[in-house]
Amino acid sequence: MHRDVYVLIPAYNEAPVIRDVLTEVTAVFPNVVCINDGSADDTAAEIEKTPAVLINHPFNMGQGAALQTGIDYALQDPEAKYFVTFDSDGQHRLEDVVTMLPFVETGGYDIALGSRFSGEAENISLLKLLVLKAAVRFSNLTAGVRLTDAHNGIRVFNRPFAENLRITIPNMAHATEIIHQISDGGYRYVEVPVTVKYTDYSRAKGQSVFNAVNIAFDVLMNRMTKR
Amino acid sequence: MIVIQILLITGVVTISAWLLLRPKSHQVRASIKLLGLLFSVLAIVVIVSPNTSNRLAHVVGVGRGADLLLYALTLAFIFVVLYMYIRSKEEQDQRVILARKIALLEAKINQLSRESDGERDGQSSPTP
Repeated sequence: MHRDVYVLIPAYNEAPVIRDVLTEVTAVFPNVVCINDGSADDTAAEIEKTPAVLINHPFNMGQGAALQTGIDYALQDPEAKYFVTFDSDGQHRLEDVVTMLPFVETGGYDIALGSRFSGEAENISLLKLLVLKAAVRFSNLTAGVRLTDAHNGIRVFNRPFAENLRITIPNMAHATEIIHQISDGGYRYVEVPVTVKYTDYSRAKGQSVFNAVNIAFDVLMNRMTKR
Repeated sequence: MIVIQILLITGVVTISAWLLLRPKSHQVRASIKLLGLLFSVLAIVVIVSPNTSNRLAHVVGVGRGADLLLYALTLAFIFVVLYMYIRSKEEQDQRVILARKIALLEAKINQLSRESDGERDGQSSPTP
């Protein structure tokens, strides 16, 4: 089952949880690629204890760069048809991937995006909610694609989408870049409700809301400096 | 609006827009050289006859030559900062591409060595 699916999981300093996440995912999907993005802790060693493929970035390059590395790796396999991005901190549920896959496999969509606002966001802080809502508005405004959640790490897309994807913003702003790719390439997209678990671990590790400012700046600069 | 205000605003807008829209242009590199040349010429003129900067300042509506110098320096500073920003972005992109190549090569080598280990184990006598 799922031989043609590649699950791409970027990991940066996730040693306490990465093994559990990968054990769970590899039980369902045979092709799991975990990109250790220059972690300073034992993330790489923890990944090696699982059946997942380990790719080591020589230094920290950002989540977007890690995803692109995973995509490049998966594309080397001509059998790879579907690509899944999944967070390494345990905030996503594997069931949601299983729900999302058929949308791309048989539903005729190029990409399925997880949305925590049409689904559920457990234990989210009010400030984070407001910032994420603002990010959605910003993204809808700049990209011309209507979404309810712009920065969700759980996605499923097909090979043509993966082949054309060039993530050039290394950091978190890649989420917006992927959305721009959808609108620029005229891809068929669908949002699927997912549940994001805000555990104490993911809350402590998650992005600071101030980072939204950095992301907005990066996106605008990237748009301006590219034609 | 006095002459200098128009000049400075035009300068700021032109520099920003130009640099952001044509980050890789060889014109940017050429203009840096030309600006450098202009700077040397002006510097020598002002050193030889310090009053030139004052006269020049009066022409564009600035009180003192020293002030004019400060304004010009500010413009040059903005130009340099933006140019450096774009350069460092370009270099970051190249670094990321290079590092990704290395990471993928390493993964490939690991995969090949695992496969050949597996073959060897399969051919040799049962492991003790």
